[in-house]
Amino acid sequence: MVKLNSVLVIGAGAGGIKASLDLAEAGFKVYLCDRSPAIGGALIRMDRWFPDNHCGLCQMLPAFSTDDSSRFCLRRGLIHPDIELMPLTEVKEVAGQAGDFRIGVTSRATGVTPELCIGCGLCAGVCPVETAREFNEGLAPRKAIYPPHPGVLPYVYTIDWDSCTKCGACVAKCPTQAIRLKEGEVIRQLRVGAVILATGFEEFDPVLATQYGYQRYPNVITGIELERILSPSGLTGGELLRLSDNRAPGSIAFLQCVGSRDSRKDYCSSTCCMFALKEATLLKQANPQVDIHIFFMDIRAFGKGYYRYYEQARDELGVKFTRSRVPVIREDPPTRNLVLTTIEENGALAKRQFELVVLSVGQTPAPGFQELCQVLGVEVNKWGFCRSELFSPVATTREGIYVCGSASAPKDIADTLVEAGAAADQASGWLARRRVPPTPPEEAMESDAEEAPRLGVLLCDCGQEITSVLDLEEIAEFSRQLPDVAWVARVPYLCYTDAWQRPAKELRKHKVNRLVIGACSRYFNTRLGEIGLNSSAVQKVNLREHIAWVHGDNPKVATEKAKSLLAMAIELARAPEPEPASPVNVHPRALVIGGGLAGLTAALSLARHGIEVHLVEKSAGLGGNLKQICYTLEGDDPQALRENIIARVKTDRLIQVALETELMEVGGYAGNFEVSLKGKESLLHSLEVGAIIVASGGEEYRPTEYLYGQNKNIITQKELEGKLFSAKLDPRNISSVVMIQCVGSREKERPYCSRICCSQALKNALRLKEGNPDIEVTVLYRDMTSYGFQEEYYTRAREKGMTFVRYEPESKPEVRPEGERLVVEVAEPVLGGRLILEPDLVILSPAIIPPENTPLAWTLGVGLNEDGFFQEAEVKFRPVDFLTEGIYVCGLAHSPRGMGESITQAQAAAQKAVSLLTREQLVSGIAVSETIQRQCSQCELCITVCSYTARMKDVESGEVVVRGALCRGCGACVVACPSGAAKLRGFKDRQVFSLIDAAF
Amino acid sequence: MSSSAILPVGDGGVLGAVRAFLGSLWQKKLIDALLVPLELPSGDNVVPAIVSDPEKLKMANPLAPVMPLNSARQVSAITIASPSAERLGVVLRPCEMRALIELVKLKQASLENLLLIGIDCPGTYSISDYGRFVQKVKSPANDFLSKFQEGKEDPLLRKACQICEYPVPANTDLVIGLLGMDLNNSILLEAGTAAGERIIGELGLEKGGVRSREAAIAKMVSQRAERRERLFEQVRKDARGLEKLMAALATCINCHNCKTACPLCYCQECFFDSPVFKFEAEKYLGWAQRRGALRMPTDTLLFHLTRLNHMVISCVGCGLCTEACPNNIPVADIFRLVGDKVQKDFEYVPGRNLDDELPLTTFREEELHNIGI
Amino acid sequence: MAEEDQFEPVIVGFFCNWCTAAAADLAGTSRMQYPPNVRPIRVMCSGSVDPVYVLRALLGGADGVIIGGCPPGDCHYVSGNYRARRRMAILKTILATLGLEEERVWVRWISAAEGAKFSRTMNELTQAIKKLGPNPMKRDWSI
Ligand code: SF4
Ligand code: SF4
Ligand code: FES
Repeated sequence: MVKLNSVLVIGAGAGGIKASLDLAEAGFKVYLCDRSPAIGGALIRMDRWFPDNHCGLCQMLPAFSTDDSSRFCLRRGLIHPDIELMPLTEVKEVAGQAGDFRIGVTSRATGVTPELCIGCGLCAGVCPVETAREFNEGLAPRKAIYPPHPGVLPYVYTIDWDSCTKCGACVAKCPTQAIRLKEGEVIRQLRVGAVILATGFEEFDPVLATQYGYQRYPNVITGIELERILSPSGLTGGELLRLSDNRAPGSIAFLQCVGSRDSRKDYCSSTCCMFALKEATLLKQANPQVDIHIFFMDIRAFGKGYYRYYEQARDELGVKFTRSRVPVIREDPPTRNLVLTTIEENGALAKRQFELVVLSVGQTPAPGFQELCQVLGVEVNKWGFCRSELFSPVATTREGIYVCGSASAPKDIADTLVEAGAAADQASGWLARRRVPPTPPEEAMESDAEEAPRLGVLLCDCGQEITSVLDLEEIAEFSRQLPDVAWVARVPYLCYTDAWQRPAKELRKHKVNRLVIGACSRYFNTRLGEIGLNSSAVQKVNLREHIAWVHGDNPKVATEKAKSLLAMAIELARAPEPEPASPVNVHPRALVIGGGLAGLTAALSLARHGIEVHLVEKSAGLGGNLKQICYTLEGDDPQALRENIIARVKTDRLIQVALETELMEVGGYAGNFEVSLKGKESLLHSLEVGAIIVASGGEEYRPTEYLYGQNKNIITQKELEGKLFSAKLDPRNISSVVMIQCVGSREKERPYCSRICCSQALKNALRLKEGNPDIEVTVLYRDMTSYGFQEEYYTRAREKGMTFVRYEPESKPEVRPEGERLVVEVAEPVLGGRLILEPDLVILSPAIIPPENTPLAWTLGVGLNEDGFFQEAEVKFRPVDFLTEGIYVCGLAHSPRGMGESITQAQAAAQKAVSLLTREQLVSGIAVSETIQRQCSQCELCITVCSYTARMKDVESGEVVVRGALCRGCGACVVACPSGAAKLRGFKDRQVFSLIDAAF
Repeated sequence: MSSSAILPVGDGGVLGAVRAFLGSLWQKKLIDALLVPLELPSGDNVVPAIVSDPEKLKMANPLAPVMPLNSARQVSAITIASPSAERLGVVLRPCEMRALIELVKLKQASLENLLLIGIDCPGTYSISDYGRFVQKVKSPANDFLSKFQEGKEDPLLRKACQICEYPVPANTDLVIGLLGMDLNNSILLEAGTAAGERIIGELGLEKGGVRSREAAIAKMVSQRAERRERLFEQVRKDARGLEKLMAALATCINCHNCKTACPLCYCQECFFDSPVFKFEAEKYLGWAQRRGALRMPTDTLLFHLTRLNHMVISCVGCGLCTEACPNNIPVADIFRLVGDKVQKDFEYVPGRNLDDELPLTTFREEELHNIGI
Repeated sequence: MAEEDQFEPVIVGFFCNWCTAAAADLAGTSRMQYPPNVRPIRVMCSGSVDPVYVLRALLGGADGVIIGGCPPGDCHYVSGNYRARRRMAILKTILATLGLEEERVWVRWISAAEGAKFSRTMNELTQAIKKLGPNPMKRDWSI
């Protein structure tokens, strides 16, 4: 079978974009389709994310071969030569099998020919239909013909057929005849080796929760609506106002679990707690006087850094938390305030008034998802999400089709993006493996840089969009007078397909070797080939968005500005640019540190892509913590997994395992590391690898509390599990147990949730009950964190009569021996009394803690977070990367997580490494820094400020050099260097000076 | 590290005592060579020299009230290519030591194998004033010190010295203390580090101290701080605002002597000497056209402002830039005025210690909320 | 006519590629009007704006300079804007101490989504500079 090189990604939200970028970076051709007219999904409706309140979307863009993709904010669009975007597209049929699928897709016409549309918006001006839709969550009206998102690139309009009346007003108005009011469909056959399902979720429709009066009461809104209100690009420009009266609300209530964790949807949506916390945090930071209450059942802040975020909201920002279901909301008509009836923890009813209520609605499968799954031939689970198994979380029931994100279970962006990486890894296993040929260095221009500059200036009329404000003739005349300008021309529409033919000829005729384009914000780079110039020989001035569209009322000064900007660009184009740095070779070999589940999985993934792997493990055996996990909540067999995976690793000829071996030293950089390893008995030996995966694992905290170790009947969950599994303990001999949660977690010294202990407790409790239905199980907990589909087991546990008693960290349960018996005493929050239990066993759920990671982090030159886990580059958008390229992290080394989550993350880390290691060479971007050695004093300030370790002191020459492939072109070094020795291509001091000097 | 010892002052005066102490370092084989100012044969100036023969100590004069250049730069020259393999003693004034600390942070010098000997600095004269001063006195160092001991203000001191709040060296292994001492009888040898302490032990000196020292230092520092404020007031009057600043800098001929004299301006090649500042004739003429005339050489103000940007955070106030200026531009006054503010903003004291990070290499997330909204 | 009205300042803007330059585009596509006095220069990051560029502009006669970057914490290059903040703080202190109208130098954090903030800032900046009047350095031949 010939393997194909292409892959289809369905759904262009967070997961789809990430998977596509990962695959494109790894050299595959990606079809990315979405039902909607624009990419972004839920992602671009939000401005910032927990747990750092920042936006980091652009961090997803490739770190290598940076020039291959557009270098701008992803909210504006995704432009990559290997990603073909297919908007308004649905999958209709699937034939073939893994490795060779034939997929029929239909794309609805947008009504606007993208090649013709110049984005002038005259159509929207005459469109009589006003509708309120997606972008602003029904809060801001728009026309039936509209740009899918105000900053989108290319800036092209589209028709919303559902509201379009086909009156034809726009057709008549359009200056370029771009509009066709025909709802045609284009059918296409795609041949792809694999498919990734990344369709995301649909929000639960709160209208269905009639008791909350959503849509009846204007001041009951959803979280995402609040997000849009708070967004600077939203309706109120970021100001907090209620929509009923445009007044800032003084009090806001958040209601959690709307459409989650109830009898109809017995799962947890996993993200709404954090989402509400984020909204509350941002609100409080901007409006400290607003009173914010969150009504919740359990706060599930289980991701990395999430619990800290919760504590900060509660303790520092003063967000109030009330553990209570809210059965009903009524409006107080005169004020339009809302009266909440709450059931307090002790069962009493209370009424409270708020000026705004925000519903934290849950995630449900996307509409039409079942049908799509049917077409794809993959099974869904009972909740309507795509079915996947614990140990192969991104696999569907059909080979070659993978799933990521909320398509398979509700999850947040962080987890979605990890899965996207894993899905990319798994999918690419079916694709033709290819050594990415080094991108040929941009073809040297016919003339080398030394040749005298001959400039061309190409000005676009953009119909009348530019000329209606700017006197382009005057500007053209002005440009002709400027030094080295050989040729000036105007074109009516530069963005048209055939617009470049004539200029291309003229350019040749006039021997033009640099070009200045005066047009709009369009990304023309992909078309430069047509005129035989590379992007560094071209400068752009945005005459439309930066001048004509924003200075319409002042054409005279606007024309002056246009002249200035052209003069500046011409100056910049005149300055010669030396050749880019030479590419470096890559050692196609990886080092994996750690032989636990994550390390083993990563090694197998790497080997599957033909990469030689060296796996080192500190201890004497493989398997790590997996050795002690005997069964799972969902009924899988971890020991079978362990045996299987170890056997596969041991027999894979590409994987070499070194036990009792440690990493001693690391030199070099991405693609070219030199590592020294030391075995227990052997000498230090060194190895050249291109990438390193850190999977060094985590440990269980050894409790010092609750008399652990002093009484044989006080044991940990793990110990209980082992005893049950080996039948050393017979549940029939026990009549009662008490489980204590959060032992060592969510404490002052460890302010994080260990994520897996609640499900572990449920698992063991159910197992006990199975063996002896009469056992009394009491779980003392703080918040039950049975997120996602684990919720079902929590429900089951309660049905089986287990008792869940909450305790506060201030009044922890007390465990004491009384004679032969153990006594557990705890404050009982519901009745307010004290509960005294006399269990046979006390079972503790200890925290997951990092081992002493400092030496390893130091050796690798990467960071640790405040809890001692490895610190990734960006918590959401670069979850397995370090700031130092070429080193990746997965498993418990990153943070506490379950088995499935470790597997996913290991695959995602492997994917990153593979995409680096399958390159023969690394080339740097155009904007790359360099050192003028003559001027360099080796003060190393530049090395200190570079976030990407792209600069280093070369040991042999003693010179401060740049590793071009790692340089992102941020220019921090340029500013740090007082000597002017650190330079950035394209932004050299001299160039910037000429720009500035030409500004007036 | 509080141990200290008393060095008796004999017939050779304070200078004799200092020379004797330096000689003893050789005798006890505690150093292999010593960087110390030597008197020139003409007697009207001193220059730092590496002394390897203790005989030459006869000419050593670290007390001469003159500082032709900042020795930190010389330590940098000696150690930048490779740290010293032999044990090198270095005698430094406080501002030289402070500059050295900054240079080490900037990777321009290494302290490895150095024995740092700081010496209290009552102040220095300009080279020409010193030249005149030596004509009039028998032993310039001793005479200067006795004048100093009388406690009168010495108007001859360089302006930078008159306002210097760091008369006592910090961070050196040893300090030769003059302040608060009865210079007719004794001077102080103080240990600043464990190494210094060991040396006091090995020299077999009896430990001892003086009570009057702290107060004397405090008094001097406060007098100088007062003078500094007065000077700042004056500079603000004379050089603030575009017109006045331009007047103050009017005579700048772009010779870059100030940056050559500056102990911190370490660049291999100054940015302002780089090709960035070689413009085409058409540019010059264009600028001239725009303003009616163009002062040549160009970019003098840009040079000074940029040098401030690069160096003022580390400026130790040695004042040698002013000394170096052929046209008497008060460069140091401007640097001190600006430096005082900038350094305070970042709670940074140049030369205070090796562990303080250079402010421009780091940042804090929560700071400077007034810059940028 | 008051002098303020005739005076058309020239303001140099250094806008980071990832945020403020995108906000400028967004202001454009949203057609938010603002005065045409700012000459935008796209830089990769606010952290790549050398104070010497700002000085070059001011001494060359720019009536104002604005540095626009991603909001703190959002810099595409992790910490460029935090570093820029220190640089600009020092630059402004130097100018202020020497009485050189540091108020002509603005630093603003404008995210890619804040087209409105971009145009508002350009408005405010132009107004403020008009109030300050022309930069005296523009006329001085001896600079
Ligand atoms: S600091 Fe310099 S070397 Fe490092 S990434 Fe930025 S531009 Fe490149
Ligand atoms: S900051 Fe400049 S002078 Fe210092 S090491 Fe880097 S390139 Fe060389
Ligand atoms: S990229 Fe915008 S400030 Fe750094």
